[in-house]
Amino acid sequence: MCKGQTAPTYTRLIDAACRGMLYRRRNSPQSTIELITVTGHRVDHDMKIWLLAGCLLFCVMNLGAQDTDAPSTHAGYVPVISGAVGYVDSISGGTPTLLPAIDPVLLVPIGSHILGEARGEFVGAFSRRNGNGDYTGQVFSELDYAQIDWLADTHVMAVGGKYLIPYGLVSERLDPIWIETFQNLPLTYSIGLQTSGFGVGGELRGVAVENNKYSIQYSAYYSAHSDKYQFAASRATGFDSSIYFSPQHLEIGTSYQRYLDDPRNVNSEATYVSWQPPQIPLDFKAEWDHGYYGQGYWIEADYMLSQVPVANRFFKNVQVAGRMQQSFPDHGGGHGVPGIQTERPGVALNYYIRDNWRIISSYERNFTSTKDTNLWNVGFTYRFVWPAWPGRK
Amino acid sequence: MTNRRSPFRIAVLVSVFAAGAWLSGMELFARADTDAQTAPAAQKTTERSTQKSGEQVFMQNCARCHKPPMAISPRTTGTIVMHMRVRAKLSSEDEKALLRYLAP
Repeated sequence: MCKGQTAPTYTRLIDAACRGMLYRRRNSPQSTIELITVTGHRVDHDMKIWLLAGCLLFCVMNLGAQDTDAPSTHAGYVPVISGAVGYVDSISGGTPTLLPAIDPVLLVPIGSHILGEARGEFVGAFSRRNGNGDYTGQVFSELDYAQIDWLADTHVMAVGGKYLIPYGLVSERLDPIWIETFQNLPLTYSIGLQTSGFGVGGELRGVAVENNKYSIQYSAYYSAHSDKYQFAASRATGFDSSIYFSPQHLEIGTSYQRYLDDPRNVNSEATYVSWQPPQIPLDFKAEWDHGYYGQGYWIEADYMLSQVPVANRFFKNVQVAGRMQQSFPDHGGGHGVPGIQTERPGVALNYYIRDNWRIISSYERNFTSTKDTNLWNVGFTYRFVWPAWPGRK
Repeated sequence: MTNRRSPFRIAVLVSVFAAGAWLSGMELFARADTDAQTAPAAQKTTERSTQKSGEQVFMQNCARCHKPPMAISPRTTGTIVMHMRVRAKLSSEDEKALLRYLAP
């Protein structure tokens, strides 16, 4: 907190505010709230804006002064432009598609307790005209989230705006292109994320209990229906909760969503496991999803070859992965869930040139009752983090 | 009628300001706290930070989803750790341990 700011200062400000003004509801048909002084003079619109701006500045200045870690660490709180750039050459069922992508993230802290953050997504999809002609296509742009986070307490954080729906392992955690091992999303990805994968409203999240043996995390949200451009969302509510056993590096969680738009009162559930054995560079993840349009599971194991004794400088940056998934349609499938039963085993081979540069490749085989297809992906991802404002070095 | 409503309006105004002050760190009320009230909290924090280092927090939370970065500019560390605290649902103790680890 601001060292020079004392309680009497606040008291004086509040006293002055109370003495000088009060709210009065104007007796007009519009019934708007008007601010007047005790002397009866109306405060015009500009004055209201200045007063509001002053109050906000007052809060922001104090929030900025709350950086209690500043003396003990060298951490800076400048706005940040982060994100990832990627390019994937994808061949699906013999049809090649070029998929360049840029996912910029903007982080704007206000003090050390409020954070404004937004992520955009620009993805191009270019394929050959008539199968063997020139590449043609279009670029899709989307605002993934634009939210204000209030780090209210050690156990509670409040999020407002457009946010990613916390459901399962992929939506919030594994979806960014620089994180995902397989560039193709799981078959059951859309379950619990109807219809856009985003919510517009509020969310509470945090860690409920934490000790040396385990911690319990939670998030609960409510999303309103919205048709606004870049803010499309459905009315839904739900939660996600997981328990993480620290010594074992094992997490078990569950997600639930109740969809409140048409079709009304549809439930989706997910159960997931994430395990990183402490002595082995293995990352094991699995999830089971069930929703109105279908159900299914995926199991994935990623292994860094850092334990290979030969040519370790090379192999320690190599990641091999395997994934198996199945989906079973209900009510005809759709909404992202395949309409027929599908099995899709796959392998991936990624090489980390640096921690933020990655060459990626994967192969999956799609088995269905009508047609079996191959899915190939080759490309790269690059993650960047830049300060967007000068600050102390 | 205006006079009858005034106390209510003043109460609303005071509440708004109090909420603002609370939003900005509960300083208005925290000042009234005694040392006896704050001491155990500080002790608890110290106890926890000795039990769980920043590296542990990093390996147990951040590394669950992505590879550790080679370096982060100290100018951006506070902002990024805030972002990751929200995304990974970390406690403020873990956030502080991470800050000490990444930008000592």
